[in-house]
Amino acid sequence: MENLLGIVIAAIFINNIVLTKFLGLCSFFGISTRVKTAVMMGMAVTFVATCSSLITWLVHRYFLVPFHIEYMRIVAFILVIASFVQLVEITIRKLSPPLYRAFGIYLPLITVNCAILGVTLINVDVERYSFPAAVVNGFATGLGYSLAILMMSGMRERLEISDAPSSFRGLPLAFLTAALLALAFQGFSGMVE
Amino acid sequence: MVGKKEVKPVAVLVITCVVWGALLGLIHGATKERIEEAERAELYRTLSEIFPGAQFSEENGRYVCMENGEVVGYAVVVEERGFGGRMEVVVGVSPEGTVVGVRVVSHGETPGLGSKITEEGFLAQFGGKRLEEIALKKDGGEIEAVTGATISSRAAVRAVRKGLENLRG
Amino acid sequence: MKVQEFTKGILKRNPVLGLVLGLCPVLAITTRVENALGMSVAFTFVIVLSNLLISLLKRFIPRDVRIPTFIVIIASFVTIVEMLIHGYSPSLYEQLGIFLPLITVNCIVLGRAEAFASKRPVPETLLDTLGMSVGFSLSILVISFLREFFGTGKVLVFGHQVVPGLLSSPATGMILPPGAFLVMGILLALLKKARVI
Repeated sequence: MENLLGIVIAAIFINNIVLTKFLGLCSFFGISTRVKTAVMMGMAVTFVATCSSLITWLVHRYFLVPFHIEYMRIVAFILVIASFVQLVEITIRKLSPPLYRAFGIYLPLITVNCAILGVTLINVDVERYSFPAAVVNGFATGLGYSLAILMMSGMRERLEISDAPSSFRGLPLAFLTAALLALAFQGFSGMVE
Repeated sequence: MVGKKEVKPVAVLVITCVVWGALLGLIHGATKERIEEAERAELYRTLSEIFPGAQFSEENGRYVCMENGEVVGYAVVVEERGFGGRMEVVVGVSPEGTVVGVRVVSHGETPGLGSKITEEGFLAQFGGKRLEEIALKKDGGEIEAVTGATISSRAAVRAVRKGLENLRG
Repeated sequence: MKVQEFTKGILKRNPVLGLVLGLCPVLAITTRVENALGMSVAFTFVIVLSNLLISLLKRFIPRDVRIPTFIVIIASFVTIVEMLIHGYSPSLYEQLGIFLPLITVNCIVLGRAEAFASKRPVPETLLDTLGMSVGFSLSILVISFLREFFGTGKVLVFGHQVVPGLLSSPATGMILPPGAFLVMGILLALLKKARVI
């Protein structure tokens, strides 16, 4: 039995999905210019990562493994994620138009966010987690993503009004900021055994 | 009633999935043996690094290593949780129960730090050791940890111990 | 058919250093030049073949489900390349890890399918995706070369030392995560300064 608290701390700090595993980078750099949008994106990713981890683990164990078609996992997982995201989009559009206006535009982006497919593959392929561990890992990975994108957007809002050399303005400076953040996260190495 | 307009997109998507599923099944059938073969070849190559010149055969999940009709040792593949995730280690043991050699097959340790557990300088320390002696020096054993990678080193030690225990049992 | 459909992907609209897309493999597997070579081959296979097929089938794919259809086609080619690499080079398969299956959600592949292959004829799609592949491969080779050289002091490709060990004390940080962001940031700033991209 895995240590669930250990998984949470590892997924948020030690093996942060963005800063040490390099997943979800496109949205990390693309949507981190404003704190408000970063918070929304973080919440949406956390929700989808948790539910996708849950569904794909079940699909893998009770559908792919019994039929010996584990090699179809990439196609199966991406379809599960895409349909789930579509379903959520339709549901919140019907139930809560204001929530849809806030989240709607982020949902389609999440289908092709490699953090989601990445975490589902890590659950069944790389770490071979048990069911509770996989769900907890999905949730904690989402939190780790939210933490990283929130810090990044906070810094980028300030960097925008700072006097930087013109060739460094914008993305180059964002990458250097990410380098410093990643360096700081390296300091968490060895926190959990 | 569902109109023709709604049916077509769904039908196309379903057909795409079915056709590709079948195609992937065919390709999987064609490459399956090749993949198993390649994995076995890779494992036997690792085993012959530990037991040079020996022949290998599988028996209940462990590997018997023979040379000129004599058993020169046993080997087993063990999984252990390291610092950066799951690691796979091959442990070769002599019939007397001492370690002959250790190889790390896959790992997720930090490049340049934890990854040094795959290097000969660290792994050679296990050679000739018995189960009782295998622990890090700071844990009262005889294995020197890789500098700056105590957790990775400790995981490797646990893997070797697990391998020895598996083969003994 | 114009040659610029091919050349635009290499410099002007380089997918990695110009459009800054498909970053996950760019930063994750560039710790060694060898891995970057493997990723280039896998990426080229997937983007060229999946986009050719999409361009061929574009008339039959309904607009409403085009994205899921594209994704299924791309995911299938990724599965094929995964099986082939697993069978022919298990060590490369191990090195690329989950970044091989993650080519499925690489924004460059889906981006070209949506923006180009689904609207243009097959020959132009071939030129476009080949250009993008060359641009992608060049970018990750440059990044991995810089990281491996400064991070380990030498560059090893298939056991051959391509660059002699010049650095006596390499900066290990370059092959750790922060080094990836650092190299990328400095490269982007230099290219911006030189006004190449």
